[in-house]
Amino acid sequence: MSAWGRGVLAVARKDLVQEFRTFQRLATMGAFTVLVGVLFSFSFDPAAVRAQDVAGGLIWMTLVFAGVMGVGRTFALEAEDAAFQGVLLSPVPRDAIYLGKVIANVVIVSITVLLIVLAFGLFFQLDYGAHPIALALTLFSGVVGFVALATLFGAVSAGTRLGESLLPVLLFPLVVPMVVYGAGATHRLLLGRPLVEVEGNIRILGAFAIGAVAVGAVLFRHVVED
Amino acid sequence: MNRRPGRAPRGSATAGAALSLVGAALVMTLLWMVWFWVPTEALQGVVQRIFYIHVPSAWVAFMAFGVVALCSAMYLWLRDERFDRAAVSAAEGGLIFTTIVLISGPLWGKVAWGAYWVWEPRLTLTLLLWFIYLGYFMVRNATENPERGKRFAAVVGIVGALDIPLIHVSVLWFRSQHPQPVVLRADGPSLDASMGLTLGVGFLAFTILFFGLMMLRYRVETLAHHAARLESP
Repeated sequence: MSAWGRGVLAVARKDLVQEFRTFQRLATMGAFTVLVGVLFSFSFDPAAVRAQDVAGGLIWMTLVFAGVMGVGRTFALEAEDAAFQGVLLSPVPRDAIYLGKVIANVVIVSITVLLIVLAFGLFFQLDYGAHPIALALTLFSGVVGFVALATLFGAVSAGTRLGESLLPVLLFPLVVPMVVYGAGATHRLLLGRPLVEVEGNIRILGAFAIGAVAVGAVLFRHVVED
Repeated sequence: MNRRPGRAPRGSATAGAALSLVGAALVMTLLWMVWFWVPTEALQGVVQRIFYIHVPSAWVAFMAFGVVALCSAMYLWLRDERFDRAAVSAAEGGLIFTTIVLISGPLWGKVAWGAYWVWEPRLTLTLLLWFIYLGYFMVRNATENPERGKRFAAVVGIVGALDIPLIHVSVLWFRSQHPQPVVLRADGPSLDASMGLTLGVGFLAFTILFFGLMMLRYRVETLAHHAARLESP
């Protein structure tokens, strides 16, 4: 295995070890997720709207909000005691640091999404039966694309006076395609529509994810220069 | 860059002033054409005249973002201050024209569609473009170190420009999933020759005006840079 690959894994492992020792981010994201589900259940009239009809959108909006919370914390945590300076001083190339962070954040956000799916399934009696693999692919490719952009702009936000509060302003306009195709596909899968109808969406989400990771890896070095 | 401090290069100022004057004259011509010369559109009536302001503004708004992205990429690559100045000048012009689109669009929409805002793909895309511009300036002004702000803004400009086509495709797709009872017949082949000419003048006027203002803005940025150098030698 190359030094570059080892660098990627080292950064990912560092972030994950830090998270699984404290559970700070997963705990807040998890609690947030369940509470959002509870509030949503009070926010629409089940007699007027069927949960399946809005669940696709709810799942994706919760993913976006929980994801912004979780990924935004990444750099804020490392800003304490100038820990991130230490990471930058290590011989790991910048793009490897970025990819390592993306891998760690994908794991953490995926766990949260799993919780979203389980909690909302329980709360709103959703039927995930028809195409669980397609649903998992949809959500996972969405998470990768989202995390790729969120990690890049999380580093940008952390370098400003406004901190994490700037992240949604930068990120939300850019993740519109992800929400459109992701929520659209999820909505149809929950209604038990045939796979043919969501194949195109999953392809686009996959392309978005690959593109976002590539762009992030190229631009990250310009963000964490000094 | 190693000029005597206190003397900023003057080239962009002269060209900017000249272009802005030509642009302003063309805008006056455009206004005359819109109000006194071009015939009233049969179906929509007088309100359709917003079209000649609205569409060229949209063209400039999106073209400006292309200029921002290009200059941002060049700045990150070469780290030449002048590219950053060009990018921020284009971004300010772009934000103004995007705002014009977002004001003129709903005004027209209210009469044509009966609502100020419908989730029409082009309108949605322009709104998102406005927010990406907003992010560009927020990032730029929120760093202690100006050089860092320039780098961050460049990243926003590049990612934004790469994402805009995808956003456009996705909102179009979303709309095709949710058909609305609104048929926008903006630029059909049934455009009268005089209307086409007016629109052409609009495109020319706004494009020239944009580049003129961009050059003047660039000049201001250059002077600010030199003034800062004089204050802290």
